[in-house]
Amino acid sequence: MSLKEKDDMDHEGWMKRKDLTPVESTFLVALIWMDKRLRIVDYLELLENLYYKVNMQMPKSHTEQYDLDNKFWYWYPLYALGSFSTLAYIVAAVSGALLGFYYAPAQTGDPSTAYNSITFIMTDLQFGFMLRSIHRWSAQVMVAAVFLHMLRVYFTGAYKEPRELNWLLGIVLISLTMVFGYTGYLLPWDQLAFWAGQIGVEMSLSIPLAGEWVAQLLFGGFTLGPATLQRMYILHVFLLPFVVTSLIAIHIGIVWVQGIAEPH
Amino acid sequence: MSDTNTNTDTDTDTDTDGTEARTDGSGGPGIVAPDDETPSWRERKERTTGLSRLTYEYFERARREDQDLRTESDYVERDVLAFPTWPHETVRNLSIAAFFTGMIFFLSATMPPHIGSPANPSSTPAIILPDWYLYWSFGLLKLGPLNPELAILGGEKITADRTYGVLANVVVVGFVAIVPFLNKGSARRPVEQPFWSAVGVGGIVFAFTISLLAVKNLMPMDVDLLFDLTFLLPIVATTVTYAVLKTMREGYMYDLNRRYYRLRPPK
Ligand code: HEM
Repeated sequence: MSLKEKDDMDHEGWMKRKDLTPVESTFLVALIWMDKRLRIVDYLELLENLYYKVNMQMPKSHTEQYDLDNKFWYWYPLYALGSFSTLAYIVAAVSGALLGFYYAPAQTGDPSTAYNSITFIMTDLQFGFMLRSIHRWSAQVMVAAVFLHMLRVYFTGAYKEPRELNWLLGIVLISLTMVFGYTGYLLPWDQLAFWAGQIGVEMSLSIPLAGEWVAQLLFGGFTLGPATLQRMYILHVFLLPFVVTSLIAIHIGIVWVQGIAEPH
Repeated sequence: MSDTNTNTDTDTDTDTDGTEARTDGSGGPGIVAPDDETPSWRERKERTTGLSRLTYEYFERARREDQDLRTESDYVERDVLAFPTWPHETVRNLSIAAFFTGMIFFLSATMPPHIGSPANPSSTPAIILPDWYLYWSFGLLKLGPLNPELAILGGEKITADRTYGVLANVVVVGFVAIVPFLNKGSARRPVEQPFWSAVGVGGIVFAFTISLLAVKNLMPMDVDLLFDLTFLLPIVATTVTYAVLKTMREGYMYDLNRRYYRLRPPK
């Protein structure tokens, strides 16, 4: 018996016998190379298993089950509102990331750096005016779409068993969407932003028991200042994007598994 | 569920020799070859106690329930009625995605936003407003006149008006959140559930009127009248919706029921 390691599965010979196209053989070489190191075939198998589990359990639609001719229900166009929210969210995310290249939440100077960076975007930056406009409008459209989506779900009774959890998740999402809008509203640090912020501080201060703590946490104090703007900025561009993106993914994942509620 | 099932739950020493369908993946080749001493998967499960034990037991029951449903029913798959998300919904949505995005761009190009004067803590503007979608919440802060005064406290209010407003927000959102736990059953269409549809319409109208109350200093209207209308209009809308749906219901339900029983004739 030789000490030389023997390749009992002769993958290369197998590939030779197969008479592969260049694309196929490149793919296989890469796959085998990765698999030797990371054992990815196991993980692919897990994924495959998951895919079939989800899809085999996929509900059968009423119309398929009873072999009905597919009746058109006049509410169906409204079933696109959820995806419309997602789409507006994506547009807002992309335009927001671009705006973020030019915006600074600093409050030095008079008017503040924050305010100045917005006027810079609007007047000097190529395409900046449009960029801000797109960000604004996609945010507004998203909120509107989410409201309407919620109404659609309400009036088609789509929140009933087994979809209660998705409804609750939706409540969290719509609240966070509005917080998203609110924090963004403060960022230009113009008069409207400042006084809307003032109302926010007063509202949090008037929460029973936890008021002062909440004001301190969210607004960085009991009066508005540089800390407020900094916190709104971090909420708006760091915390909320992570949280809301994950929640939307879970929300849609649940819809995927449960199927779209049908009118019976 | 059937008796066989309860047997497997309670009687741990019965056969492991595979006369029953196994749902736990045992029986296949293990990664480490078992010798005589190695407990099988099933034995290990049966030795667990407490919560993990309960979990395994429920797991088996659920699997078996699915299995029974499959063999018993005429349905090919589980008896869940819904549209598959893929491809039914997704294809439609993807096909209008570009249109939606175009609409956002069109709005942005035609109605760009402007920016006000820079923040100035020493001059309070006459009109302070959040974005439109927060008007309802802003309006709820202005419910001061409804804040009950207690006679024992000498006409003093229990909570400050502003706290009261914040609580009103919590109540409204809380109510919307628990709707699925209040309205159960299989009704979906508005005509099938006139009451809840009427509540919904009332809610929408209230969202509008309370938003108008939030901008009361911009409304060309007597503020007291506006305040009264804020609560009257939703009630009117609720009543009207209820009456209309109730009237429509009879004819509509006749059709629905006829279809339903044609599909699933009573046994
Ligand atoms: C960020 C906000 C949201 C996004 C991106 C979103 C996305 C979606 C999408 C894409 C669907 C698939 C069906 C459809 O498009 O109508 C859906 C379904 C659903 N959504 Fe949302 N949604 C959001 C907010 C909400 C809110 C506020 C609620 C309710 C309080 C809600 C409750 C539901 C429920 C119960 C379903 C299942 C409906 C069915 O099966 O017919 N969602 N959501």
